[in-house]
Amino acid sequence: MIPINYNVRSLFVRKTTTIATAIGIGLVVFVLASALMLSAGITKTLVTAGRADQAIVLRKGSDTELASSIDTPATSLILAAPGVKRDERGNAIGAGEVVIVLAMDKLGGEAGQVSNVQVRGIPESSLKLRSDAHVIAGRPPTPGTDEVMVGKSIAGRFRGMDLGQHFDMKKNRPVNVVGVFEAGGSSFESEVWADIDTVRSAFGRPGLASSVTVRLESPSKFEVFRATMEGDKQLGLEAMREATYYEKQSSDMSSLIRGLGTAISVFFSFGAIIGAVITMLAAVSQRQREIGTLRALGFSRRSILLSFLLESSVLALMGGVLGIVGALFMSFAKISMMNFATWQEVTFCFEPNPVLLAIALAAGCGMGVIGGFLPAIRAASVEPVKAIRG
Amino acid sequence: MNLTTVAVKNIARNRGRTLLTIVGVTVAILAFVLLRTLLWSWTAAIEQSASDRIGVRHKVTFIMPLPKKYVDEIRQIPGVKAAAYANWFGAKDPKDEGRDFFATMAVEPEELLTVYDEFLVKPAEVEAWKQNRRGALVGDMLAKKKGWKIGDKVVLSGTIFPGEWQFEISGIYTAKRATVDRNSFYFQWKYLNESLPPARQDKVGWVSARIGDAGRSAEICRAIDAKFDDRDVQTLCMSEKAMQASFMGMMSAILKAIDIVSIVILLIMMLVLGNTIAMGVRERTTEYGTLRAIGFVPRHIVLFVVGESLFTSALGGAIGVAVAYPIVNLGIGRYLEENWGQFFAIFRVQPPIALAAFGLALLLGGLAAIIPAYGTTRLNTVAALRRIG
Repeated sequence: MIPINYNVRSLFVRKTTTIATAIGIGLVVFVLASALMLSAGITKTLVTAGRADQAIVLRKGSDTELASSIDTPATSLILAAPGVKRDERGNAIGAGEVVIVLAMDKLGGEAGQVSNVQVRGIPESSLKLRSDAHVIAGRPPTPGTDEVMVGKSIAGRFRGMDLGQHFDMKKNRPVNVVGVFEAGGSSFESEVWADIDTVRSAFGRPGLASSVTVRLESPSKFEVFRATMEGDKQLGLEAMREATYYEKQSSDMSSLIRGLGTAISVFFSFGAIIGAVITMLAAVSQRQREIGTLRALGFSRRSILLSFLLESSVLALMGGVLGIVGALFMSFAKISMMNFATWQEVTFCFEPNPVLLAIALAAGCGMGVIGGFLPAIRAASVEPVKAIRG
Repeated sequence: MNLTTVAVKNIARNRGRTLLTIVGVTVAILAFVLLRTLLWSWTAAIEQSASDRIGVRHKVTFIMPLPKKYVDEIRQIPGVKAAAYANWFGAKDPKDEGRDFFATMAVEPEELLTVYDEFLVKPAEVEAWKQNRRGALVGDMLAKKKGWKIGDKVVLSGTIFPGEWQFEISGIYTAKRATVDRNSFYFQWKYLNESLPPARQDKVGWVSARIGDAGRSAEICRAIDAKFDDRDVQTLCMSEKAMQASFMGMMSAILKAIDIVSIVILLIMMLVLGNTIAMGVRERTTEYGTLRAIGFVPRHIVLFVVGESLFTSALGGAIGVAVAYPIVNLGIGRYLEENWGQFFAIFRVQPPIALAAFGLALLLGGLAAIIPAYGTTRLNTVAALRRIG
């Protein structure tokens, strides 16, 4: 086996070429890693909103809370269903919530940009379901008033949506922002939480809820709960595990980003592989005499082949590490876009995750191995005597 | 033998490497054209949306409807020529569980076709649609995908308006302009309205109006919003262009990412190209020394280096653009138009994009040669001739 040191030093001799090739591979790894991280971030933001031991009930056929509506009698029936957990006083842990989308003026960026913000009208009991949520600035709104709290991802990003400010839900019905809350990085952080009756009256939806969420006695009670809900065809309801519901909402977007990112990376990797081929071919042709000497010293063709494959892998690995480091910087960035499933603007992060980074790095090394293959074969087929004579 | 001959011979000297580099440039330019066309296609709807059309919706939220009587009041506003209204229906095809998304809207036939005069429908089909309460007008792309023919009975399930809804295909539309979505499903508003409980009746999702003078859209919009300002439900009126732009604004993060990525591929290309040129220069150091020794000045050698780089990038760029046309116009683009028509109504290579791609290939070819070319000007003739290797 030829010591790897030989390859590393050879790479350093041709600094400029090595750097140019490594950067090329690094850029591809960067694009791939960023896309995978964003896709993971989307899944995380949307999926962590749901808990395994909770179920959400919508009107049958409506895929999202926005399209669904459930009246008060049905809400009471849902809360009384078997499998629903009760607190020490015997009250069901669950809540009917109203979901509305508001057009709000975006701050910063181009003037006159309007975007959709989701407003969730909640009764007091909702907070028991969302134990992750807690106020980080200001105070919680007083139930039954026009006070609201906003998620930390949207605080200050829309006109009137910051602590101490107010905005209109209906003309001349301003609501006051008294708190900013955090909710474990979930999509709730891109919502406004208001009192359910304030929202109902502002939008003329007396007695209606968009969805009903309940805590189950245990995750395994879900089937019993669903059987009761969907057994009564008259009610026209549909029950889902909360985790499943949010996963469904995230799947379109995260697969779009993942698909787009992968397709672009595959395309780009052609360019990077060609760069590696050119670099390694030149390395082999410049080092004919060296290779000949190595062969004369007794190294086999196989070890020459391996040695050059190794050299291009090291080259690719350097690029890959560069790309990964660059991609890690992306985890400081936030990206805000519309979720097609809910028509609501949500803020996402690039979620660094060891598995994804390893995949991107492996893809980078793969480019090195593919690119180094042909040159390595050429190196292995050098005839020692001829090469040494020059 | 003149300088040009020497330059051409140089390029052909390491054929394998030159060929690889040209392929590299080709791939990069192809990727660039694809990504740019994607961006163009996504925003083409804004550029080509009618400037003499305005839209009116609920001021606070698009999910709340307007009272139907607003439509007549909007028609009264000076400058408004015609107004149509629609409700978003949100249907799923039970056969595929709604995996294949298409827009479904309840409309009034006559007004729809006056306001959206870019729709092309046979007059007989329009007549049949008007007469049929359950009639529907569908885009030709949607009809083709679903295998629907005129007279077919179709059942859709409503996501917003629950239940199984029966329709009959009365007409199939195409469009005058390529940016019009031909994947939508329009049916009679009165069919929807009559089927609703009284509390939900006589509401429209939005109003689109055609105005006489495109230049007056801002003024007419202000007049409309002012008219409803002291009512229970206020309105938000925007030109169609502004509406499209605000929708695109919500996607701006993705668009920006694609924009950046299309520049990244050019950088990768420049690195590959620069690397090739630098290698050639390094290998020919002794020759350049000889040329200098027999009286050529640095300028000549710079010309060799830059010329080689420009030749490679021009050839790669030209091939890239040439293959982009069939790949996009006959392959990817056709697929996207047929299957993702609501996002990419038209996906074709635009001459300005092709031209820019070729121009950028040349520019980057020049830039890539700067460092290697500069190196040759600092060549010490004697040292170069002494060099071994």
